[in-house]
Amino acid sequence: MTDEHTPVTESDLHAFVDGRLDDERRRQVELFLKDHPEEAAEVQLWQAQARDLKAAFSGYARFGENDHTLLRPTTQSGPPASFWRKTGLLAASLILFLSGAAAGVYADRFYAGKPPVATASALESLPGQSKTAFLVYASEKRHPVEVGADDQAHLITWLGKRLNYKLVAPDLRSEGFSLVGGRLLPVNGKAGAMLMYQDAGGERLTVLLGRNPHSTETSFRFETSGSIETFYWIDGEIGYAVTGEVTRAKLQAIAEECYRQFES
Amino acid sequence: MPHAPDEGSRAKGASPLSAETFENQVLTLMPSLRRYSRSLAKSDSDGEDLLQDCVEKVLVRRSQWRGINLRAWAFTIMTNLYRDRHRRSSQHPSVEFDETLGLTAEDVSGDPLEKTRLQQALNALTPEYRSVLMLVVVEGYAYQDVAEMLSIPIGTVMSRLSRARRQMAAHLARDNIVTLRRPK
Repeated sequence: MTDEHTPVTESDLHAFVDGRLDDERRRQVELFLKDHPEEAAEVQLWQAQARDLKAAFSGYARFGENDHTLLRPTTQSGPPASFWRKTGLLAASLILFLSGAAAGVYADRFYAGKPPVATASALESLPGQSKTAFLVYASEKRHPVEVGADDQAHLITWLGKRLNYKLVAPDLRSEGFSLVGGRLLPVNGKAGAMLMYQDAGGERLTVLLGRNPHSTETSFRFETSGSIETFYWIDGEIGYAVTGEVTRAKLQAIAEECYRQFES
Repeated sequence: MPHAPDEGSRAKGASPLSAETFENQVLTLMPSLRRYSRSLAKSDSDGEDLLQDCVEKVLVRRSQWRGINLRAWAFTIMTNLYRDRHRRSSQHPSVEFDETLGLTAEDVSGDPLEKTRLQQALNALTPEYRSVLMLVVVEGYAYQDVAEMLSIPIGTVMSRLSRARRQMAAHLARDNIVTLRRPK
């Protein structure tokens, strides 16, 4: 039995998130949360998490084209269907392993987590977002960009309009990098832009632009993550981040070139 | 006893004849089995692979089914398969970052970076935490049902759920580590 004097436990908070409390207890937990902002914040986080998880997987609750063949009554003769499937998978994964070495290099960084050094709001993680965009798209073989450099005028108009900013694609040929193209990306929860460049050896770097919630200015800063360097700054309403797997000196030269051309 | 949504749908099945076969009962469960397998997996192909292994095992072990709540029984088999596969793969790690990594079903307009982040946060959970989180949040099972399906005390369900939620939150916050302020 519970009444308003029964202490609210952590299990109650989970049951609150999961809709497992009866009406009376739910009201008691709601009252408790009004007086306990820390717990309320955590509960909100868990609720958002639950929404995201449900949304992420609900689309998979469907029949597959071959479901009925999976469920054919099993026979006693011959190897099970899984034998052939697994033999094929083994071959496929070997090919993937051999051909995916480059992707694997990026993947390692993905999983090499860093301990949090400071808490900051999601709105301030421009270099983190830039690094993730680089990791996701620089290793992408088929669709690294949405609009290619062969349609540069359209690319710049389109992204500039979405970003509400007079965008230019910096010319980095003096640094040995030419434009591959760009794509629209969420940055700080709003429309942002990513430009991708590539040198003659196929080495890529990305330039991320996002709207800054407050008009501020920063000095230029570096963030290093393994061998990936990110150089970033905020100038007024736009935040910029340049990420690449090149030396810091090289990236700085590129970032300065970007800065010079964005400013002009 | 665990709630058995599949029992009801079987009773309302299209034809009494088709409802009788074990295979057809499993077939009606395919959407929820597919969702659960994908929620445990690293990629779409990994999820389909787990699903197929599970269906195969369900068919082979049909004589062990006690005739109640086929869905929960199949979920238990899936969870055990997933845990065993995870053990094997952590001993023999393979290349994980291929183009199928990440969530691809529906909602293609969603933020690809956020989906990748969510998938990575899930991959960082141990199988024990992840299966409890998915059974509760995505599959909607009550805590007591999960305890019965996994043969663990309900207190263990609660502590795994709690750790799963906190680890997810910590992982998702981890990218936000640098404040952009003008240095003094």
